[in-house]
Amino acid sequence: MRRAQIFHGGRLVWATVSDDGAALNLPGGGYVAADAAAWLPPVTAGATVFALGLNYADHSRELGFAAKQATPLVFLKGHNTFVGHQGATPRPADADQMHPECELVAVIGRPTRKVREEDALRHVSAYTVANDYAIREYLENYYRPNARVKNRDATTPIGPWLVDAADVGDPQALKLSTRINGEEVQHGTTADMILSVAGLIAHLSDFMTLMPGDMILTGTPHGVRFVAAGDEVVTEVSGVGRLVNRVVAS
Amino acid sequence: MIFSTAYSIALNDRAALERLGPALSAAPYNAPPQAPVVAIKPRTCWRGQGAATPLPEDLSAVEIAPTLGLLFATDCGPGVSPSAAIGAACLALDVGEPGGDFYRPAIRQRCRDGFLPLGDFGPWAEALAKVEIVTCIDGQEAHRWSLTRLIRPVDRLVRDLSDFMTLRAGDLLLVGLPDDAPIARAGQSITVSASGLPTLSTRIEAQA
Repeated sequence: MRRAQIFHGGRLVWATVSDDGAALNLPGGGYVAADAAAWLPPVTAGATVFALGLNYADHSRELGFAAKQATPLVFLKGHNTFVGHQGATPRPADADQMHPECELVAVIGRPTRKVREEDALRHVSAYTVANDYAIREYLENYYRPNARVKNRDATTPIGPWLVDAADVGDPQALKLSTRINGEEVQHGTTADMILSVAGLIAHLSDFMTLMPGDMILTGTPHGVRFVAAGDEVVTEVSGVGRLVNRVVAS
Repeated sequence: MIFSTAYSIALNDRAALERLGPALSAAPYNAPPQAPVVAIKPRTCWRGQGAATPLPEDLSAVEIAPTLGLLFATDCGPGVSPSAAIGAACLALDVGEPGGDFYRPAIRQRCRDGFLPLGDFGPWAEALAKVEIVTCIDGQEAHRWSLTRLIRPVDRLVRDLSDFMTLRAGDLLLVGLPDDAPIARAGQSITVSASGLPTLSTRIEAQA
């Protein structure tokens, strides 16, 4: 099942997506046409949002880092960063090095503490897609990637929906791609992740408790291409979703 | 009290920059910080007044950094007056592993369960921006610092942050951590007090 959060009838509603994707079925009956929906980030209030840097060896090499970090590079994100499907992401006038990053997102389904890697996927309830934009001009070497790069308003499109984990199958066998105005600029496979979804959950839950609704943005493969205002950016993870975003001047 | 995101600002104590000095211009930093240095404390860190602070079994002691927390009542983006957006304040202890550097986000070091004990909230008042915060361990004064040490005082800090990110209604902002934060061990009782705010108390409790 796919579940989307939309704005409807003056409030936030979780709708289920019809099999053909054309309709968002409302709780209690009725539906909204998908192409008329006001999509919101499919994120639970208060959820902790983890993101991974350098979790694909080819992307690490592209940025001049060692293929594998001694400890996983994990950072956290505020909910101000999210924007839903078909949303707009502001590009500051001086951000000549702003680029999209297509990522598989795992959503935690139950309290998780010190889970073994082989059991970890049972703690995932759903998956979604994120595009975690970075602006390289704003990088500083303090808690890098620093907030001015990774915690800006509406710079992390996410959605369009959550897909039940059972419907996704093996999270390490999914194709990722990014298209800017139709041109493919990033493609990869989750098979190339350095730390798998299960490995990430085992790693994080070794020292802290993960809670239902928490999200892990699992990193991005190689392919750095800068965007301009007006660009349409589509990030897609096979079997999970196709997320559309527009870059706007700010 | 349900929050949205709890942000904590590192390297905002003048004493920290004086101590680190030339090291900030050497690898891995290569230049002193320009923007505020921001960390996030996840919800699993938060503990209310009086609750114990867990000491994980792999640590023998923790650093307890006493600070001021600001709760935003309205969204604070570019051009919004910080004082108008701040709705309440509390005392807080940003707990972490002693030592460490500032190069990579310190998730394992600073985001363990229970690593953000918070006092009860009181009303925000301008005087709190320069308040002196006193920390006692087992009844003995262990630390005292004044927010006059902040490189970016409250108003400037909030403005500089809101230049690039909105502090949203419900977000909590810890305004800075003292470079000389005290160390606490299992069994010790901690109080953090400051004029104008409810006292924060907690006890460091070894995890089985």
